[in-house]
Amino acid sequence: MPGRRGRRWDGAVRCCVVSCCESCRGRGRPLVSSPGPGGAVSELRGPEDHTWNWTFLSKGRGSDVISVIKQFQVCLASVGANMNVGTAHSEVNPNTRVMNSRGIWLSYVLGIGLLHVVLLSIPFFSVPVVWTLTNIIHNMSMYIFLHTVKGTPFETPDQGKARLLTHWEQMDYGVQFTASRKFLTIMPIVLYFLTSFYTKYDRIHFIINTISLMSVLIPKLPQLHGVRIFGINKY
Amino acid sequence: MCQKNGISNGSFYKQPFTEHFEQAPLYVAVFTYVGFTVGTIFGYLKDFLRACGIQKCPFAIEREEQKDFVPLYQDFENFYTRNLYIRIRDNWNRPICSVPGPQFDLMERVTDDNNWTFRFTGRTIKNVINMGSYNYLGFAETDANALKTVADDLQKYGTGVCSTRQEMGNLDKHIELENLVAQFLGVEDALVFGMGFATNSMNIPALVGRGCLILSDELNHTSLVLGARLSGATIRVFKHNNMQSLEKLLRDAIVYGQPRNHRAWRKILILVEGIYSMEGSIVRLPEVVALKKKYKAYLYLDEAHSIGAVGPTGRGVVEYFGMDPDDVDVLMGTFTKSFGAAGGYIAGRKELMDFLRTHSHSSVYATSMCPPVAEQIVRAMKCVMGLDGTTKGLQRVQQLRKNTRYFRQRLHEMGFIIYGNDDSPVVPLLLYIPGKIAAFARCMLEKNIGVVVVGFPATPITESRARFCVSAAHTREMLDTVLNALDELGDFLQLKYSRNSKSSRPELYDKTSFELED
Repeated sequence: MPGRRGRRWDGAVRCCVVSCCESCRGRGRPLVSSPGPGGAVSELRGPEDHTWNWTFLSKGRGSDVISVIKQFQVCLASVGANMNVGTAHSEVNPNTRVMNSRGIWLSYVLGIGLLHVVLLSIPFFSVPVVWTLTNIIHNMSMYIFLHTVKGTPFETPDQGKARLLTHWEQMDYGVQFTASRKFLTIMPIVLYFLTSFYTKYDRIHFIINTISLMSVLIPKLPQLHGVRIFGINKY
Repeated sequence: MCQKNGISNGSFYKQPFTEHFEQAPLYVAVFTYVGFTVGTIFGYLKDFLRACGIQKCPFAIEREEQKDFVPLYQDFENFYTRNLYIRIRDNWNRPICSVPGPQFDLMERVTDDNNWTFRFTGRTIKNVINMGSYNYLGFAETDANALKTVADDLQKYGTGVCSTRQEMGNLDKHIELENLVAQFLGVEDALVFGMGFATNSMNIPALVGRGCLILSDELNHTSLVLGARLSGATIRVFKHNNMQSLEKLLRDAIVYGQPRNHRAWRKILILVEGIYSMEGSIVRLPEVVALKKKYKAYLYLDEAHSIGAVGPTGRGVVEYFGMDPDDVDVLMGTFTKSFGAAGGYIAGRKELMDFLRTHSHSSVYATSMCPPVAEQIVRAMKCVMGLDGTTKGLQRVQQLRKNTRYFRQRLHEMGFIIYGNDDSPVVPLLLYIPGKIAAFARCMLEKNIGVVVVGFPATPITESRARFCVSAAHTREMLDTVLNALDELGDFLQLKYSRNSKSSRPELYDKTSFELED
């Protein structure tokens, strides 16, 4: 469909399989797959000393039998271990829809409010310190849960396409600038404004809060989708 | 979205089409997330304690000498299973020791180590009311008289066929069954397969391929999704039962053509199901057929849950809406749910069936249906059609319809949130909060009722539910037992979230005169 990038079902259903060069192969690095040519949003760049060969395998007739067997195994394996009783699996990765669900934005704001109230009730923290702490704890939690933890806490029927993607990269299957992404980008900024106000723009607090804000805003840039700096957190 | 006044696109429907998908109040969604957050925090805590060694680790872990190698599995993918599912695992896969009819016998099992292992106490819980089996017409029975022909065929043909339809596996039983299925549905010809899942996944690739477009409903079953992916066609998903979304996709497909070269699509196939088993909704067939005719697409209707279960004589959604079976290009269904057997069928025009006989993966490579199962389907179908000389089949269909209506109406009155169409025998009752999933199933078992509960990730995160399958074999007393138990449990667990419930017993004021009290 014109104008849409990275929608999973758009374009022909083809698998791109990235095959490592020979030196990687011996070390058992996992094969990484990314969506088809309709919008290759998750480019995982290899480490600087290896080159990655992109091999496009289209689902021709010859690979049908093998893919059938593999898909059956995946389906049968996923049926036994969890609650998937006769379920609809059009949604291959439910993680992508969690942030769009009803009431989650409200719960998120209430969660920040609860954190703030708990910190305020500690007697020896002054109000500026409490606001800075709220900001720091919120940004650290956001960094850990959205930009560090990778994969899904359950097995997905798509054979692990999202295993190396953080939750931020999985959201809406990689489509940028959706409503939830905008919300989660704006929340730390709003919190930063409030914190700056309540700390009366003190220099030390400002430095700490700004560094914290940068740490949580930079990973959200679309240019950094799938990027792992210095190979940190790649696998 | 509550019940609508009047019918949209009213000229298509000969009877009212009412579906309910009420949303719970917002605080329920907030509590659901609180529940999952608490579960996640405790999950991380337990993982930490197990890693430290403070708690014993009952599942498989790597051996010491393997720790330097790259791990074979990612343990985060198992997080949900070991920390949330295992804790309430005793509500699924319960072993039974009788036929899963309207009631069954359950083997009692207890756990000593928080659901990591179970042991049987040796006792059986008798006559648990079965609200979970897909037994719509009640053919899951062990009546020796009724199954006499099946037993005879078992003696005559043996258990397995051990060959494909094209080689030596085409028995007279299969031909008889296919003719009967075609007669039942009112089409020219039918084809039967040994496995219902494989019917979808093996036949869709034979029908469409590269350069074709598949428009599939959001909530289609895995078998349809698998068949669509295996075919190599382009797949676009439209919102569940939403005809505006489908029309928009059709228009865009015809106007813009294929994505790169803008040529016309070779074929456009619309994949829908008759009844969606997780939502209990019925497809808007008249509108889909009107769209299909307008834009010249093909329609593939999967009646896994609706064949035998809806329609005045049990012939599925096509009869339910009073439509012509020739309007649907490919009618597919399974025998698992309403006929008490196994396997699936595809029905339609004779040329299409002859094409599938030679080109479908199932006909060419898979073993054909085994004869005793075919005979069970033949006898069940003859019973439903009335060809055995009695009206027992029709009575079953009507009993199912009465049971469905009664059950749904009472649940609505009680104030539960129920999804789906008023005529669908699949009744999802929304629980929302993850803690209530286990509580509901365990409390119902204590009251001797077996239910199926599902949660995330099988359903959206806020919509965990219990799914009831009404059967023709349920008597009014059984349904009343279940409804009374649900009433009590609904008050105890606070499940009555509906804000639209209508009571059939308005409050009666028994005072004949009213006086102002000072």
